[in-house]
Parts: sequence; structure tokens; C-alpha cells
Amino acid sequence: MTLHVTDVRVGHEIPALAKVVTREDVRAYADASGDQNPLHQDDEVARSAGFPGIVAHGMFTMAHLASCLVRWLGDPADLKRLRAQFRAPVFMGETIVAGGVVRSIDRARRRAVLDVWVTVEREGVTEHAVKRGEAEVELA
Amino acid sequence: MRRTGLWYVRGTRMWGDRLGGDAMALNGAMEGKEYPALSFVVDEERVHRFAAAVGDDGTFVPPTFVTAPEFAAGLTQVVADVELGLDLARVVHGEQGYDWSRPVRVGETLTVRSTIESIRAKGGMELLTLRTEMRGADDELVVVGRSTLIVRSRV
Repeated sequence: MTLHVTDVRVGHEIPALAKVVTREDVRAYADASGDQNPLHQDDEVARSAGFPGIVAHGMFTMAHLASCLVRWLGDPADLKRLRAQFRAPVFMGETIVAGGVVRSIDRARRRAVLDVWVTVEREGVTEHAVKRGEAEVELA
Repeated sequence: MRRTGLWYVRGTRMWGDRLGGDAMALNGAMEGKEYPALSFVVDEERVHRFAAAVGDDGTFVPPTFVTAPEFAAGLTQVVADVELGLDLARVVHGEQGYDWSRPVRVGETLTVRSTIESIRAKGGMELLTLRTEMRGADDELVVVGRSTLIVRSRV
């Protein structure tokens, strides 16, 4: 199931995807990805680096952004490019919300480019875990 | 435990007081260096564990599963490269990009080859961009990953 080029308009916002970040998921991500940095597993190490506790991997957050895009697209093969800048750290128990908006459509190439992001609400302020993200997707 | 991961970027404001005129640590002559290619088998069980960790339903290979071969090859190689002089305790993951030519398939063997694409100084920090190319059988391009690591000056 692939989105058709006529299904998409510039300015169209894709459905946001929210998730609570848990210690179990971050540990499972460390094992599956191979990134065993103790900053993501050991509260003592994280505190010595100035954080209140362990932080999620930037790539954990980027994977959530990819999940959001794939759910919208319907077919993981249609995600052709994804770029993300990592900004705010994400702590355990926080809710990350991935989203995006269609910036441009190339009807001849059947491609669309989206601005994408991941936010986290912290003490009433919206922080950007992923900022200035960009995705390119293929359309039918 | 050995630190073999990527430290997270903190807010730019938080960096301000850490910057100084310290000598840069990376060996700029390493720009363009190519690391030996490595093989990575896309193991079904590992793909399932990855999918579960990131909240996908396990019916497809999550696009960012390619982080695992990228980490196993290039990122591990740059950390171990004494000529480069990367101090992981001062590294944060600044930016990541992937360009997929096609999805990764369960059971295939990827040939993973990393190159130091650039080493730049910026505002008292150094940015190292590592380009990692992953190819399938018959040398077919599957995905190109770009990791930008930010190296803080010594405090």
C-alpha cells in the first residue's frame, strides 16, 4: 500500500505518533543496535555527565520518527531519505511525539519532501529532540 | 565498561561556557580515510529485537535498523583509530542521515564500508562526518549513512 501523489498536498500534516520512553525499551535498543554507551544505561554515568538520569539514544528517537513516517506511508520501502539533527536529550518516562509536514511535491519524480521533528514536553516547554529533520518519500 | 557509544547533543546554550581556545584534538589529515570493509549479516532475531525496541510490529525491517551495521563497522572503527585521536568522552551525536536505495532484507549479508568524509572546526568544536556505504550481493547499493559527531574542546 503506497500513498498516491494525489493523496498528498503541500502543507499536509502527517498523523503525529506519541510514545512513552521506557528504560526497558532503551536497554533493548542498546542491545539491538549495538550502541552500549553507559550514558544510555547507567544513571551514575549520566549524572556525572550532568543529566538527571540516563538519556535515550538519539538514534532511538530517530527510529521513532521513522516509525511515524512508515505508518503514514504504509510501505517502509517508500522512505527514501531521512535526516535529523539531535538537540534536546530525552529522559526516561517522557513522551516523545514525532510529526511532520509536507514541504514540497515533485509530481514528475513522484517524490515528496517533508519537514519532520520529534518534540518532548518538559515543564510546560516544548523541546525539540529532533530539529530541522527532513524526509524524502516515494509516492505512487 | 568501555564507552563505545555516542553522547547526546545538549542544548547549544549549555555548551557556551565549555568553549575555549584549547587545541583541537582530531588529526585533520585523516579526512578522506577509508576503513576496511566489513560484512554484516542481517539476522532475523536481531531485526525482531530491534523492531520491538522501537515499537514497530515486526512485519518489516525498520528503516533505521541500518544503524546496527553502521555502528558495527564505521563507528567502531573510528573509535578504535589511534591515528584519528577521537576522545569518545567528548563526543556527541550531532546529526544523522540515511539515503536508502532499497530496504534491507532479512538474511542478506551487507558489505559495510566507512570513510571519513570531513573534519571541520566550528565555533570551538570539531565536526567529524563519517560516510558509511552498505551494499548487498553483486555490489548493489542499499543505503548510505552519514553520522556527524561533535567533539567538544577539552574543558
